[in-house]
Amino acid sequence: MLILPLCTGAVAATMPAARKALAVMCTGILLTAGFGWWSVVHVVCHGTLFAASDWLFLDALSAYNLAIMLLVFSLCACYAYVYFSCELRRGQLTLRQARLFTALFSGSFSTMALVLIANNLSIMWVSLEATTLVTTFLIYLHSSRQSLEAMWKYLIICSVGMAFAFMGTLLAAAAAVKGGSVEGAQALLWTHLVGRASLCDPMLMKAAFIFLLIGYGTKAGLAPMHNWLPDAHSQAPAPVSALFSGFMLSASLYCIMRYLPIVSSAIGSPRWATNLLILFGIVSLLVAAAFIIFQHDVKRLFAYSSVEHMGIIALGLGLGNAGVFTALFHTLNHSLGKTLAFFSAGRLGQIFKTTDMGQMRGVMRISRVWGFGLFISVLALIGAAPFSIFMSEFQTVKAALDAGNVTAAVLFLFGAGIVFMGVLAHLIPVFWARNESDVSLVTTGLLEKFLVFFPGVLLLFLGIWMPDFLHGAIDRAAAIILSGGN
Amino acid sequence: METYIEASVILLLLTDIALFGTSRLYTCITIAAVQGVLLGLIALFANAETFIPRIIVIASIGIVIKAFVFPYLLKRTIRQAGVQREIQPFIGYLSSLVVSLVLFGVSIWFSAKLPLALGAGRSMIIPAAIMTMFTGLFLIVARRKALTQCIGYIVCENGMYLFGMVAVGEIPALVELGILLDAVAAVTVMGVAMYHINREFDHIDTDRLSSLKG
Repeated sequence: MLILPLCTGAVAATMPAARKALAVMCTGILLTAGFGWWSVVHVVCHGTLFAASDWLFLDALSAYNLAIMLLVFSLCACYAYVYFSCELRRGQLTLRQARLFTALFSGSFSTMALVLIANNLSIMWVSLEATTLVTTFLIYLHSSRQSLEAMWKYLIICSVGMAFAFMGTLLAAAAAVKGGSVEGAQALLWTHLVGRASLCDPMLMKAAFIFLLIGYGTKAGLAPMHNWLPDAHSQAPAPVSALFSGFMLSASLYCIMRYLPIVSSAIGSPRWATNLLILFGIVSLLVAAAFIIFQHDVKRLFAYSSVEHMGIIALGLGLGNAGVFTALFHTLNHSLGKTLAFFSAGRLGQIFKTTDMGQMRGVMRISRVWGFGLFISVLALIGAAPFSIFMSEFQTVKAALDAGNVTAAVLFLFGAGIVFMGVLAHLIPVFWARNESDVSLVTTGLLEKFLVFFPGVLLLFLGIWMPDFLHGAIDRAAAIILSGGN
Repeated sequence: METYIEASVILLLLTDIALFGTSRLYTCITIAAVQGVLLGLIALFANAETFIPRIIVIASIGIVIKAFVFPYLLKRTIRQAGVQREIQPFIGYLSSLVVSLVLFGVSIWFSAKLPLALGAGRSMIIPAAIMTMFTGLFLIVARRKALTQCIGYIVCENGMYLFGMVAVGEIPALVELGILLDAVAAVTVMGVAMYHINREFDHIDTDRLSSLKG
């Protein structure tokens, strides 16, 4: 699963024509995704999978995240084909750029999959750092001054963040060694560590968690370490933005989830770690709400919305019990919603040749399919019923009230309310205002209709009814975060 | 062996302080390379009695990368960009030296707070490692040139490498190689990024990259 995309990436990078390179990449990703789905189903039916002498493993938590990742990557790969085909027609994409894109996109698939299936916590770190490096040049695909600036910010801020996370990983290992619970070579195997976490040194573990939260939080875009995020999301080509928002941020939060059971059991109570998460969650939510009001660019708007949703997930994780369940459910919903949002924004941006909301007017009249996609995704993202994000946000409030944390619930509702109004105020004219520019009506192909229809329907469906197998899968994943799966 | 380790650690601290006060980029690169060699030596000295081939191989790879590959990549970038000095940093050189003393105090305090299990005669290594990390972070925050920020990243990585060596002890070879590989990839990517920045803007001053706001 790791090697196949690398191979197809390499093959795609040597293809003589850009369109062929994209097609090869899509096939590679979809093939691998098929194989990935098979292993996810295996985990759901038969329990944890191990490979490579326990260095790689797939349990309920990683399988759930892997399923989201496969979904997002498959959609993004198909969308990239559509998106870049349009650019090829206009001659905005050279063969070299197409090859670079396919190689890096396939590479990021491998590295992100490795983050999820690594059992060794330092391998998890190595591969998440590798995703930073691989995706850096995806931002700079279309050479422009702004994208260069965004790329440098992304590179430096995330590298420093990852350095903090590395320090945290080392401290966690030091805590385990100090407690005498593990031999050096096994100090960082998650399955090994989680059973013996109560022996770890609590003081060192606390220090480790602070570094980890800041480090992985930087990459996840939690405020106040989110500065790179709006720049990178707005300057990257739309398939890349969708990938960043749809899964890369969640992959980083996944790393924090992995540490939660270890830290709680080392300290003896989960309160300390979860309070930190609640704090970061609320701060992200409020900062994002404040910035959303002043946005002009639709992709930047969605980028801040990502900060908001990462905050909600962190808040859910912090609330414990029911909160963890909703946080995981929200991860899926946000990935679907944000992928669709960036797809639509990117495609409409191509049609209008700008992503400035002041100039995108009356999208519903120009492209019914993509306008509809934008409409659905925006409604879902701001938490309107009956979409699934409404359900998970509602459950988060309920979890906060159940946990007796009224302050968190009030601040959450306040932040979400501001986002709701801010986004609608920006986007209602974008949907229906009269368009004076000379953009003509655009036709859309079958694949494009599918790309809008599929995530949209899924969002609606999950909002109305949650299937039992999904409920069970999330329950098992939440149990791992809460108690290490014992 | 303990004397050699202590001597290397003291030299390491001196290189940190030198980085705070150096404006010539060539010199900075050389100092960072010297640090890489010192780290490799500390790793070798610390395991001199037990003689484990794995550690020797990895330490040697580390020395080669940090003493030859990184300086080569960075000096090439300097030639392309035609920059020699860090002019007018955000924090002047004299104040930087004062900051370095404060940070040194903080790192001693911080390492005293950490209840690590250390062997005899290793007590100075942890403050030195934390000081090296602080140096790297300081270079990233307080200097203008993209190149100095890249050096800061390398120095920060050096500090963490030393910390991991002492605090964790045995890390599997595969993991260490992965970490080294990441560092090489990061410096290469930063080098290419700087090449593009220089070609597009004719400078590598990061504070002048400020068109994206809000």
